[in-house]
Amino acid sequence: MNASATENIYLPKTAVLDRIVTEIPDVKTFYWRFDDAAEQQAFKRFRPGQFAQVSLFGVGEFPASLPPSPTEKETFFTIRQVGSCTAALHQLKAGDRFAVRGPYGNGFPMEEYYGKNLVFVAGGIGLIPLRSCIVDALEHRDKYQRIQIFHGAKTPGELMYVSKLHEWELTPGVECHLTVDRAAAGWSGNVGVVGSLFAKPGVHVPVENTIAFVCGPPIMFRFVIKDLLAMGFQPRQIVSTLERYMKCGVGKCGHCCIGVAYVCVDGPVFTYEQIANLGEDI
Amino acid sequence: MKARILNRADVLKIVDQLRQQDYEVIAPFHGWGRDTFFDTVTDENRERIELHLPNPYYPPKRFVLPHIERLLKVRRANGGIQIEPTYEEPKRAIFGIRSCDLAGIYHLDRFYLGRDFRDIYYEKRRRNLFLVNLVCTDPDRDISDECFCVCADTGPAARDHFDLQLMDLGNEFMAVAGTPAGEALFASPIFRKGGVEHIQKRHTILTEVRKRFKTTTSWFATTIRCVSQGSVSERTWEEIGNRCLECGGCTYVCPACTCFTVSDRPVAANEMERVRIWDSCALSGFTRMAGGFNPRRTVHDRRNRRFFRKLAHYFIQRELSMACVGCGRCADVCHGDIGMPSVVEMIRRASTEVDKHERVGY
Ligand code: SF4
Ligand code: SF4
Ligand code: FES
Repeated sequence: MNASATENIYLPKTAVLDRIVTEIPDVKTFYWRFDDAAEQQAFKRFRPGQFAQVSLFGVGEFPASLPPSPTEKETFFTIRQVGSCTAALHQLKAGDRFAVRGPYGNGFPMEEYYGKNLVFVAGGIGLIPLRSCIVDALEHRDKYQRIQIFHGAKTPGELMYVSKLHEWELTPGVECHLTVDRAAAGWSGNVGVVGSLFAKPGVHVPVENTIAFVCGPPIMFRFVIKDLLAMGFQPRQIVSTLERYMKCGVGKCGHCCIGVAYVCVDGPVFTYEQIANLGEDI
Repeated sequence: MKARILNRADVLKIVDQLRQQDYEVIAPFHGWGRDTFFDTVTDENRERIELHLPNPYYPPKRFVLPHIERLLKVRRANGGIQIEPTYEEPKRAIFGIRSCDLAGIYHLDRFYLGRDFRDIYYEKRRRNLFLVNLVCTDPDRDISDECFCVCADTGPAARDHFDLQLMDLGNEFMAVAGTPAGEALFASPIFRKGGVEHIQKRHTILTEVRKRFKTTTSWFATTIRCVSQGSVSERTWEEIGNRCLECGGCTYVCPACTCFTVSDRPVAANEMERVRIWDSCALSGFTRMAGGFNPRRTVHDRRNRRFFRKLAHYFIQRELSMACVGCGRCADVCHGDIGMPSVVEMIRRASTEVDKHERVGY
């Protein structure tokens, strides 16, 4: 973090789009790199859970989580089209230029999780911010005890990062459980909300010495938190990333404030204990 | 701090001195009626500089954080993008800045230059800013009905953060140097050493002036505690929110508000600029996210936000001061009479209604 005195914290650097992959309807992954190789290298020192500010000049800037792990070769964003900025990004083609600054935010304190069980619970595109953390954890597999991934989507066609999911399903030492709200032809897996996976026969979620990562739409978030607390999780064992309207990403513009926290610098990663004590509803 | 005495007739010579040193000097002027404003001093308007007048509504904050400020110039050509940051680094002096506004600038210093990131645009404007503080001594002209710097502990006489401080002693003025740059001005023959009587006079005037404030809100402590602990009832926030017209006036006149929004605007074909513009937590779009979800739905959620951000312990500790310097502007401009002093009072009154202390029993 600590930007030097002469650095311009609002100055994005130009980047070029290498390729674009459609993940699910309205959600695409944009593979990109900075025009300047030194910039690219410096950027790759980000931590899982951090984010970047993406500039589409003429439209504006928006915060985007970083789904790759720092050691993955390619840098990319996975973006759902929701507002004018994301729509502008979705219009771009390979070879087009835009601009990026960052990385920003606290990120997940991975070292603090060494020696623990990791339980990832992702609803829909909530897997985007958790992807970095999962890949990073698997790259350092020996540092952790059990690793479980629970991912739910509305339909099988809306499961995120399908090829990664298949890879995780086949990785020894990883339990990957999937579910959908509505089955479709060819789906033989679980049907139900993501929390229904916890009670499935053969699934055992350890509570002792475990960190649970929960990301997803507000309703899913509320229900999963309820489930986890009922299972005996302490609020400080649950972590999540918060989303806010952000204009600067560096703690100055005031838009992302929730209660006492500036989500862009104090977050976006918070424990549920912190979230419950922010002094304002999320 | 080193002090000197000068004649009343020589006070504006300080402005001349600064202009000779190539400073753009900003000073307060009187318009029509209550209207007062800060403007650049020229040969033409120099004689019209007013020392004692109601503090302008448009705060001098704009000289370090302009209402609209360009951050970047962006040009597109042959598939590439050129991004050029645009800086301004004026050599500027504000002559006659009030103690509350001085505290406001100091608050902005800690906010924009402190913490993890430094704001280089702010820093460049701030770097060569010379501050000549004027102590408010005229109870009729300097001190408005709404001023409460005495309660915010910022005035009427600032204790630091100025380069030079001026105080009206009648026929003479006392000048106090706050920095070596301020002290350097004392080389001019208009300044002379004073006597014990001057110091005594300063003391007498200040003691007298402190009694002349009409708005005193000695309940800051209670209110800060209630706000920080979240013990202000929803009903009280609603009452406050119901009176807010969501005009954003309170934040626009506030010398300690820091929020801004960022916007891109075209300036020519294939050329645009990115600007930042003062923004207000009073406005409903402030937290609205792409897709339309707005976490702060109701107007009282937003009013609550302004006072929480200004008064919560957590932020006071982080910035070492409240984000309110007691200038009274918000109280002056608010149509709903929910400026800072009124809100402090409303919360204080509500806190005595629910009596937390009497919940005892056997
Ligand atoms: S000045 Fe008063 S009415 Fe206007 S936004 Fe502020 S509190 Fe609301
Ligand atoms: S909150 Fe009101 S009284 Fe306090 S500094 Fe801002 S405008 Fe002045
Ligand atoms: S996004 Fe500007 S303060 Fe957090």
